[in-house]
Amino acid sequence: MEKSGSVDSVESLCSSTTTRSDRSSGTRVSDTELRSKGRAIEKVLQCKYTSKGELPLLPEELVQDSAKDVTYICPFIGPVRGSLTVTNYRLFFRCTDREPVFGLDLPLGVLSRVEKIGAATSRGDVSYGLVCKDMRNLRFVHKEPEDSLKKSVFEVLMKFAFPVSNNMSLFAFEYKQVFPENGWRVYDPLAEYKRQGLAKESWRITKVNDHYELCDSYPAALVVPVTITDEELRRVSSFRAKGRIPVLSWIHPESQAAVVRASQPMVGQNGRRCKEDEKLLQAIMDANAQSHKMFIFDARPSVNAAANKMKGGGYESEDAYQNAELVFLDIHNIHVMRESLRKLKEVVYPKIEDSHWLSNLESTHWLEHIKLILAGALRIADKVESGKTSVVVHCSDGWDRTPQLTSLALIMLDSHYRTIRGFQILLEKEWLSFGHRFQQRVGHGDKNHTDADRSPIFLQFIDCVWQMTRQFPAAFEFNEYFLITILDQLYSCLFGTFLCNSEQQRLKEEVPKHTVSLWSFVNSQLEEFVNPLYVHYPSHVLFPTVGIRHLQLWVTYYIRWNPRMRPQEPVHQCYKELLAKRAELQKRVEELQREAANRTASSSSERAGSPTRSITPVQTYV
Amino acid sequence: MFSGKQTKPTFKSYLPPLQTDSKKSPQLPIKKLEAKLLPGEIVVNEANFVRKCISAESCQDDLWGKLVCTNFKVSFITHNSLPRQRFQCTHRLLGEHDIPLACVEQVVTVNDVKGKQKILGSNQKLKFNPTELILYCKDFRIIRFRFDEAGPESAKKVCLAIAHYSHPADPQLLFGFEYVGKRYHGSTGERVSGIDPGGGMQTTLFDCSSDWDREIKRIGASEWRVCTINQGYFISPSLPEFFVVPVSLADQDLKQYACFFYSQRIPLWCWNHSSGSALVRMSNISDPQQQRKVEQRISSAITKSHPLRSDVFKSDLDKNLPNIQDIQAALLKLRQICVIDPFEESEEKWLSSLESSRWMEYVRTFLRHAVEVVYMLESRNVPVILLEKEDRDLSCVISCLVQLMCDPHCRSLHGFQSLIQKEWVMAGHRFLDRCNHLKKNDKEESPVFLLFLDCVWQLWNQYPAAFEFTEVYLTVLGDSMWVPIFSTFLFNCPRQRAENSRVIVIYQITHFYVFFFFFTSLLYFLRWVPEAQIPQGGPITAFHKLSVLTDEIDMLLNQLRQYKGAGGTPNSLHAEHSKMYFKATSTPHQPPAPPEYLSSSFPFSPVGNLCRPGILGSPLSKFLNGAKIWLSTETLANETI
Repeated sequence: MEKSGSVDSVESLCSSTTTRSDRSSGTRVSDTELRSKGRAIEKVLQCKYTSKGELPLLPEELVQDSAKDVTYICPFIGPVRGSLTVTNYRLFFRCTDREPVFGLDLPLGVLSRVEKIGAATSRGDVSYGLVCKDMRNLRFVHKEPEDSLKKSVFEVLMKFAFPVSNNMSLFAFEYKQVFPENGWRVYDPLAEYKRQGLAKESWRITKVNDHYELCDSYPAALVVPVTITDEELRRVSSFRAKGRIPVLSWIHPESQAAVVRASQPMVGQNGRRCKEDEKLLQAIMDANAQSHKMFIFDARPSVNAAANKMKGGGYESEDAYQNAELVFLDIHNIHVMRESLRKLKEVVYPKIEDSHWLSNLESTHWLEHIKLILAGALRIADKVESGKTSVVVHCSDGWDRTPQLTSLALIMLDSHYRTIRGFQILLEKEWLSFGHRFQQRVGHGDKNHTDADRSPIFLQFIDCVWQMTRQFPAAFEFNEYFLITILDQLYSCLFGTFLCNSEQQRLKEEVPKHTVSLWSFVNSQLEEFVNPLYVHYPSHVLFPTVGIRHLQLWVTYYIRWNPRMRPQEPVHQCYKELLAKRAELQKRVEELQREAANRTASSSSERAGSPTRSITPVQTYV
Repeated sequence: MFSGKQTKPTFKSYLPPLQTDSKKSPQLPIKKLEAKLLPGEIVVNEANFVRKCISAESCQDDLWGKLVCTNFKVSFITHNSLPRQRFQCTHRLLGEHDIPLACVEQVVTVNDVKGKQKILGSNQKLKFNPTELILYCKDFRIIRFRFDEAGPESAKKVCLAIAHYSHPADPQLLFGFEYVGKRYHGSTGERVSGIDPGGGMQTTLFDCSSDWDREIKRIGASEWRVCTINQGYFISPSLPEFFVVPVSLADQDLKQYACFFYSQRIPLWCWNHSSGSALVRMSNISDPQQQRKVEQRISSAITKSHPLRSDVFKSDLDKNLPNIQDIQAALLKLRQICVIDPFEESEEKWLSSLESSRWMEYVRTFLRHAVEVVYMLESRNVPVILLEKEDRDLSCVISCLVQLMCDPHCRSLHGFQSLIQKEWVMAGHRFLDRCNHLKKNDKEESPVFLLFLDCVWQLWNQYPAAFEFTEVYLTVLGDSMWVPIFSTFLFNCPRQRAENSRVIVIYQITHFYVFFFFFTSLLYFLRWVPEAQIPQGGPITAFHKLSVLTDEIDMLLNQLRQYKGAGGTPNSLHAEHSKMYFKATSTPHQPPAPPEYLSSSFPFSPVGNLCRPGILGSPLSKFLNGAKIWLSTETLANETI
């Protein structure tokens, strides 16, 4: 399927759609197809071979095995025969008997499961199913090798797809590409807190966690109120789940209202209290002179929070924290989210049932979860911006729902995080340094696909960001491709950025030393990721509308494998062309201006009557 | 006239910025509350001290003013201005609180003391003094007025007047007949935003034989000719005087066949695909005995017109598409869920209730059917006959969609208007009945045209750059059905229109707010819902940037032209007739003004149109603790100064 985008492409739409619907009378123009729009992600089913037909391998990428005569059962165009190659990084499938050449190129990291389906047929064919983390399932049919000692290509595939389970290292540790920029230097916590304008009289950067002794899932640099000593922090850490004490995440440059993150207090059934924890929260409130109140946002549904008391957890009681108001945000746990995404995958892949599309989508509750997360972040942002009150955000452990909420609220509040580099800093800070358990949630290189710790928490966050970019097309410096790239590289294990569970682990594994950062790759080709519509309004706080009516399914991500979801010509493509046109015209006008100025200077006597007016250049906003 | 240009005081001058546009001069405060009347418009009744309800819960935001009923609209005149009334975008014929009478769907009077309620029709009596008047509008607005301080008699009178005048007994009583405003059509020198008056591009009305000749030539349908047998509407009252038929059919034959067709509607040629395959629309043949013979003749004539003599494909629309009652039922359900109160409780079920309204399904069915017809024309290269019993509803939609998909000309502004003129107006779509302007026969009411506009919106949404017009244009076009100044959407057929020739034929409905370049039709369906608004967001912000950029390119081109032409010195930076709605700032080094008046509802204002609060809010405001501070402080408050 080629990308259509010309002015006359409505014709091509019609003709190609009908041709298809003629072939298989069941297919129709679907609702989503009508609504789908967005950027072309060229990777769809296409694989770029070099002119000689060789595989374009990455540095240190080695072919491990290959097989001819493999059949890929494509859910859209039917069985395709071709050859399959497995490297230590990816899977290539190439079919040559079709025009245009059809290919599949996917990093092994996206595989969550590879399995043999059924027994061999009479012809000796065996079927393999590949379940991917990026919303697709692939199916291949292949003859078993007659020599039973020889491994099938799929056995080789399983070995390299799950290196962690096979005691091998992830490809990120082999990959040695050099980029002009070093992405590991993007985030410097001290510089970031300085940028926020941390008031020294109320906040300090403590070294209490320098060796990750206070909390092994927190970063080394923590910001706490000046009035609290390190000793007190240690006491607080024994009262908060996993030692994740309340620390500053962001501070409002004017009102000094703070966004603070933590984990749940270990209240338990007996209603345990901790004097130091109460003092810490009071100090956080006192650091903001504008308000004599503070809000504690517990991301969980109140029932879940109460149930946590049985396990020793819980939430802040009003008796203990007198000036704080506790609000539950009703966001469900990782298991509910995983189930919702599983349902969503069923609804969108491979076939979409047109007649019940909307109710099927509704039954996945995916958009409802997105809405609750966005709504929670909106309430936090509103309290900080409009109410000038400080807020504490936590869930149970403070590493899933909490980073979702804080980072979304920060994007709404601080336009810096809407730039490409600012967004990288946000991820490095709120997600990576504060210990979102990427290794567990994604299961990098691990074959245990049923692991209950896996959950699409980060995907949900990126989806929420995408929803905001839809509502405020000019407020973000990055485009949709940037977000999709982040998600693709999250699974690919090509870069070290999303490996491990915490800052401490990354240091121990020397990830920055042995791997390349995703930001090295991104920042070396920024133009790919720039939203041409971006306007930098420094103090523009975004208050998105979070109603279901304004949320859309991210079709260009979730349904991108369906060739019928061809991306439409995006507005910003057109805008880019116009920008180029403007630059070109601007240049010509300037040339003519100079020319005219010269001419007037040389023949001023002849043209005494017409003074040259200086022309102010048209302003460039971008 | 309006412009997105905002001249801000600079440090150099503390004087107010110079008014660059004389039309934009600040309006002097009006001393008396007077309705702004159009030529020919008269005030029928009015009541003072009326309150327009803004919020359902409290009356603190309510507006005080005078409620006026004219022979054209219901007008509410007030001194109070709403917050966030920043956008300088006004409708040419209607004020912000105006509702054309034709747009009023239902007039409900309430006396909450006595607990009485009555739906008013024309010439009715009211036994109680109303304390409240609720107007349900066809464009999904619900507007409430309170008469607590108004005189009971005058309140009653104005309600009765509104009820009476919104139920005209005769099309002659529609305001279009009284309106003596200037004729827009063809008037030269009239500068209308978005349109180049001298550009030679105009909407073709297809009311004379030369228009059809030109269309035949444009499309290259040399095997087709203009037929004049219906001149004076002697053959069929619902057909246009001129239409196009195959060359091989003689007038004599056509006259003979006419009587076999439903309402004597001889098959109409719509368009030819570039391959030579014709698109023809045909009504049912009433006489079954003649059916085969007549159909045979018509089909073979069409086949003869085809370069490859391909056989005709007949597409039975009645069998494959929803009927007009289905469409009406779907719209009623859609309206229910779009304005349902309370808005946020319906949140969770939004998608499935949208699905159960079947509106989207119908939109898809129509689009899919059109795609199938295109496939026959383009890939199979066969002529297509659209069969519909009366040939006045479904075929209008399908023939237009097919042409929009295949013919880029139809995607230009004038091409699109010409298309509507050809396939809807001239082909005799019963606008009067379908809009139910006379509110006489509810069974005939059906939003076929709105459904068509939604289909176009879907195409536009997929290919925004393929269309010369924008989403707002489509919305305004839909609204103009309820502004009975335009003869276009006022009558059932060309003959009726011709007989009522006193009504001016104007087509520039499109000139209220036209965006030149491009851009669940959220805008149409949810624009009045304050909760559904995105402040400072929505696609409009992207469009704003595009407009400005396009305008800048225009300026640069102009400069280049001037350099080339005058040999050196450009004289004005900004060309007089910028096509863009939002214009580039000619003041350099001014930070880009954040378009704070923009929201996803732009240019429509949801304030006071559903009697709901949350001007600045979102559904969240409801369950927020201390909702008072909700978005009202700081950032947004500053904008309302």
